[in-house]
Amino acid sequence: MTLDDLIQRPQYSVPQQQKEAALLAELTRLSNHHRERSREYARLAEVLFPGSADPSSLAELPYLPVALFKERLLSSVSEKEVFKVLESSGTTAQTPSRIVLDIETARLQTVALSRVMASVLGANRLPMILVETPDLIRDRRQFNARAAGLLGMMNFGKNHFYALNTDLELLLPQLKEFLHHFGSEPFLIFGFTFLVWTRFYQPLADAGLDFSNGILIHSGGWKKLQEEAVSAADFRAALKRSMGLTKVYNFYGMVEQVGSVFLEGDDGYFYPPNFADVIVRDPYTYKELPIGETGVLEVISALPRSYPGHCLLTEDLGVIHAVDSSTSNRLGKAFSVLGRIPKAELRGCSDVIAAKEGR
Amino acid sequence: MKVEILLPHQRMIEIEELRSLLFNSPAAEPFNESAMNASIDLSRRIFQDQQARSYPELLALAFWMRKVEILQLHKQFCSLELNNRLLAPRGLVFHMPPRNVDTMFVYSWLLAALCGNRNVIRLSPQLSESGRILLRLLRDTLVAAAEPIRNSTTIISYGHEEEPTAMLSALCDVRVIWGGDQTVSTIRRSPLAPHGKEITFPDRYALSVIQAKAYGELTKDMRDSLADQFFNDSYWFDQMACSSPRLIVWVGDEPQTLAASADFFPRLAECVERRRYLLPPAAAMQKLLYTCSSILDYPVSSCRQFKGLTVLTLESLSGFQRNHPGGGLFFEARIKCLTEISSVLERRDQTLTWFGFAPDELFALARNLNGRSIDRIVPIGQALQFHRFWDGYDLLQEFCRCIYIESAPLQSLSPASKRDCAFA
Repeated sequence: MTLDDLIQRPQYSVPQQQKEAALLAELTRLSNHHRERSREYARLAEVLFPGSADPSSLAELPYLPVALFKERLLSSVSEKEVFKVLESSGTTAQTPSRIVLDIETARLQTVALSRVMASVLGANRLPMILVETPDLIRDRRQFNARAAGLLGMMNFGKNHFYALNTDLELLLPQLKEFLHHFGSEPFLIFGFTFLVWTRFYQPLADAGLDFSNGILIHSGGWKKLQEEAVSAADFRAALKRSMGLTKVYNFYGMVEQVGSVFLEGDDGYFYPPNFADVIVRDPYTYKELPIGETGVLEVISALPRSYPGHCLLTEDLGVIHAVDSSTSNRLGKAFSVLGRIPKAELRGCSDVIAAKEGR
Repeated sequence: MKVEILLPHQRMIEIEELRSLLFNSPAAEPFNESAMNASIDLSRRIFQDQQARSYPELLALAFWMRKVEILQLHKQFCSLELNNRLLAPRGLVFHMPPRNVDTMFVYSWLLAALCGNRNVIRLSPQLSESGRILLRLLRDTLVAAAEPIRNSTTIISYGHEEEPTAMLSALCDVRVIWGGDQTVSTIRRSPLAPHGKEITFPDRYALSVIQAKAYGELTKDMRDSLADQFFNDSYWFDQMACSSPRLIVWVGDEPQTLAASADFFPRLAECVERRRYLLPPAAAMQKLLYTCSSILDYPVSSCRQFKGLTVLTLESLSGFQRNHPGGGLFFEARIKCLTEISSVLERRDQTLTWFGFAPDELFALARNLNGRSIDRIVPIGQALQFHRFWDGYDLLQEFCRCIYIESAPLQSLSPASKRDCAFA
């Protein structure tokens, strides 16, 4: 199977063993491609992973810590081939990741994302509610990964309706109008998890509106919702109960591997698409962990051509629940993301007071 | 503005009140009995405390404050008072110990207090568990102690506010800043009194030198023991103490140094395993990130990874920077003879731990560096062992004023010469 086959085939349809064989061949080629074109990647692969030019499993492929893209601009294309440089949103205090894209990689990302979304949205563009304010993409100075994500998702919809105003308040009359026009056929809702919960679900909880034809796709992590003690199960149950919304899909993805998103199945687990995979590593030794054990997530994607981000060790903890035994009609690895690795501070002599200045 | 007093009694206090409190209290005679007894008592209390006993760094502190050590210090102090010289306390010492090496404030306090000074210590509001234990034991000690040590010490706690720091800086006779470069710069915005003196402990670096041939001649047991000592030096404070070695330089010819390195690190890895040292995953991630940066920035020829231990081999030390993530990451390099190391050492390098060298080689190195670098040269295993000589200071001396007394009368005024005067 070539990369095109993996992208074009129905997603989640390739048994894990077959998929791993195809990905291993593809990613070994890809690793060699990056070794030839990125001096930094070649050096890291050689010193950190000696003898990894001919790996016998995906876990043996060299991987880079995802935060390295915050420290370095790693590129596998010449300057004139650069189509654009993506930056992660991050907070103001953090250095953003910078990801170099050429036309080919950008195209692969777009095609791959549409194939993943097609698996839950079907082939046609659907009327779309954006749980966002139009200001997000209007203000180009703040154009970041959140805006880029929104623009990317807008491709899968039509008749776009921004459900929030500048102050992030729900535009209820306009929303009712949207439902009146489009509510009897499938329609798409997209937003960041926290906004969906606080700015969409909460004001609508007792409104008695019918969203049963809606398909909600959301992302952005649970950190803020955990603070409000809302679990993924609570989230789904609440949306179903008060809005009739049953098709709810969270996804896990990152700016360092755009297009390669892990979309939630009906069982609430994430699944890698055909052209990507996930490995759980021991947080102390980075050895691959078996099914059921919690560790650091490594994400693998066959898409990145213009930058060596095809195997990335994330800063997220996760666990693989099952392989090819889906309760969701999907093949491959079913996994959960359990949040960020908890922050730790080492001891030492420094920083009586300087900590204030530093962060 | 108010700050919290932690010792003698926990309460909130206005800065002005704190000022008058500290302003009025007198200094004491150096090595007065009450001070020496309090040190010995604190040592005993640490040894006997169920909670304290589980922290090796507290036990090391207690060991350092035992009676024999204090008597030894007293003897050393007396030997500083030569013919015409009397040592007197400086007055009020303002200590700003590091946030994360919890035992440091006691070392700093003890030397100043033994010298007869009054002390005010600022602790971070985020006190660690072992810090809290120490504070409790110190409070118990002082409550039970006699005057003048009993009321010699005030411990306060506040955040990053400048106001209390400014007041105490202007008031004190000595300001002691244990902390990084940035801390020192920040605190220096608060001026001292014109006569005030400052002792700073900025960011420092430590490294080890090992004579490969001598290492090769050790028995297996002795090599394990050396690895064990090295483990204590480097892992106790997650390799983040200033004096924890981060670079190992093997001295000898190529086959000897390669063999020594290949033998040593697996033994160290065994120690890490046996002592169940676990680096928090977030710190391990930082370490991996730093490893990647190092591979890109330095001539790293190989990276050996064990559980809790990463070894990066450098082809050369030129351009080598001293920043470091801690948590069990070591650079190693090879040189032919010890003197070669001089060219790569710099101001920031504080501690050099060694194995397998003769005294004259070590003294020759120090003479050759001539104060440009390195303040301590100690055997592997003693990197963290606190001493009155630290960072190039003799703290016993630094905490005292040196009073010069010429007690012989002027020749011309002596009774024998008075007559001469009268004649004139």
